[in-house]
Amino acid sequence: MTLLQRIKNKVRSRSIHVAYVDVGSCNGCDIEVLACLAPRYDIEQYGIFVHNNPREADVLLVIGAYTPGWEEKLAMVWEKIPDPKAAVAIGNCPISGCLFDRKGSFVDPPVKKHIPIAAEVPGCPPRPTEILQAILSVRDSVFANWEESHP
Amino acid sequence: MGLSLVWYLKEFARTEWIKKFLFAKTAPLVTPSHFRGFPEPTGKTCQHALFCMMACPAPGAIEVVHAGDGWMPRIHKGHCIRCGLCVEACPNGVLKSGRILETMEREGTSLLFSFRIAIDLELCTGCGNCCTACPVNKGIDAQMGAGGHSSNDEVIMRVQKGDIVVIHEDKCTGCKTCEVSCPTGAIRIARILEGYQQPVQEGLQ
Amino acid sequence: MKRTVDVNIPLGPIHPCFKEPARLKCEAKGERIVAAEVELGYMKKGIERIMKGRPWQEVMFLAERVCGICSVIHNMVFIEAMEQISGITVPPRAAYLRVIANELDRMQSHLLANFSYCYTIEHETLGMYLLDLREQVMDELERLTGARVTCAYIIPGGVRCDIPRTDAELLQAALDRIERDLHRYSGMFAEGPMIALRSRGVGILTQEAAHRAHVVGPTARASGIAVDCRVNHPTYRHLGFVPVSRPDCDNFARIMVRFDEVFQSIGLIRKCLTDLPKGVIRGGGVCKAGETRYSGEAPRGELTYFIKSDEFGRIIEIQIQTPSIMNIEACCHEMIIGADSIADVTSTFVSADPCIACTER
Repeated sequence: MTLLQRIKNKVRSRSIHVAYVDVGSCNGCDIEVLACLAPRYDIEQYGIFVHNNPREADVLLVIGAYTPGWEEKLAMVWEKIPDPKAAVAIGNCPISGCLFDRKGSFVDPPVKKHIPIAAEVPGCPPRPTEILQAILSVRDSVFANWEESHP
Repeated sequence: MGLSLVWYLKEFARTEWIKKFLFAKTAPLVTPSHFRGFPEPTGKTCQHALFCMMACPAPGAIEVVHAGDGWMPRIHKGHCIRCGLCVEACPNGVLKSGRILETMEREGTSLLFSFRIAIDLELCTGCGNCCTACPVNKGIDAQMGAGGHSSNDEVIMRVQKGDIVVIHEDKCTGCKTCEVSCPTGAIRIARILEGYQQPVQEGLQ
Repeated sequence: MKRTVDVNIPLGPIHPCFKEPARLKCEAKGERIVAAEVELGYMKKGIERIMKGRPWQEVMFLAERVCGICSVIHNMVFIEAMEQISGITVPPRAAYLRVIANELDRMQSHLLANFSYCYTIEHETLGMYLLDLREQVMDELERLTGARVTCAYIIPGGVRCDIPRTDAELLQAALDRIERDLHRYSGMFAEGPMIALRSRGVGILTQEAAHRAHVVGPTARASGIAVDCRVNHPTYRHLGFVPVSRPDCDNFARIMVRFDEVFQSIGLIRKCLTDLPKGVIRGGGVCKAGETRYSGEAPRGELTYFIKSDEFGRIIEIQIQTPSIMNIEACCHEMIIGADSIADVTSTFVSADPCIACTER
């Protein structure tokens, strides 16, 4: 690996900008992400900055089961994010629809069908400690050697 | 609170503040033991009573599968909502989660299940699909006829003279296989759950 | 000759200040807002349709997940409606434990709403103080019920688990700490000069306008209308509950009403802990057929469930009326009109505490 690639890997794993989009959830996972920002489970100490602007984001947090109101809009938001990018699904809803995956509901799980997901955090809702552990275990490998794997 | 410059300088020069600033750490990433996490096996043998599957509110979260010579419930983490009903409903205590098993033992609480069969006689065509699909019927009378006819009086239900007759409703385990196999939706199973606690004896509280 | 241009400003689903997707379209003349319209529909999952034909042990979890912020009150109103249909009585110890869980949930919801407002005003320091305080409340909720959010604590006939004496003492100590910190933070809010500049006199909702728009919850109580559903609940009446209200109708009053309610909740929990009666926590009972309407007080206003059930306790028809829709309508048609800038639009909208997940289930 060249020195430049090593520097890029190091910088991309220690300074991550996050935007989140709520595609139809109950807000439980949303509050647990907010609790990660709280001084108790401080997520900013790891260099992760949550600012909610897709144009400047590296990681998109997807929360919620896919509702018809977001039909093509989620794919549009995903395209607007510049490379290198990754999407993380938080909670049970984007993985399987949680309790809403019954006959007669309007949701269309899983979100993996609509945009590519790099990591998942199960739980309804996952505890902030679980979200942090998942993000910390993934941050080194998700952007490593991006130029080689995505020509 | 003073607003003068001298006050601020004195405030930031305190050793207590300097120590807090340099050595402060956020809370360690540890989950407390009373948190109701994903259910885990305790080591007791599963009796295949299937109450955990009957109580689970999330579709596709728990299923009882073969494990070696016996059975074991398996939880799918992407579906389980960690409600703890399967832990409370199991008659043998095969699963554990948080403090649920200790509180059940200390307070004498439990969940009681009963199952009811309700048949809408206007929709029923007397085809007998439900009787042949029922796994309890198959266990009692392995030679049940294709139309649901049976000469065994111990089965839950059978078809007599073109009409469905329910004989032993108390043997029903609530699996809803009959409901799924009915072509008109005439038979419906109700899973009635009651939260129960043993009455407190005088002198113990 | 100058000509003022009419601009249509959309505050879209993804926004740094709104936690939930809703589109707010404001028509502005210069910087002054002339009209506003809210467009919902991003979170419709059809929960009431899924609930049909299911017994209480499945509908209870669906009802909790209508809104994750106020999940305990949805649980409580649904179960109490089923108890009213089936004639199940609750043992007194369980009734007091339900009040404790409900009030803890109300405290964390109000602290979250106030954090949201401070974050929108860009006073991040005070917001982070409040969020840290909320973590202590969540710890107590976790110790009582086993989970932080969507606790599933209340079942027909009682509650799921009891509170041992060691936990009750820890709860008392935590309440003392929370009250001390909250005096300091609410004092910071009430006396901060920059906060007063941005909140006093902004987003006025007069009392007649509030009556016309049928607002509920702290938004109504900040306009002088002291209406609260907890007055009709037997356990709260036993505890001597009186609603709080403030006469000035601006953003500042709404936030201060929420702080006052947190103090009131701390007092209620203390009273419950000292008067906790002994006995069982589950009285048993099965759900039967019937039809009823039942209301409770969510942190955002009045929550009503209309339920019709069949002879085995399964739901035939259900309709939920949540409080946020009335507050959002009042916000768009009364409070935002005449605001002096877009910054005031976001802070007014957030001070009315909208919960879009409740509004479209």
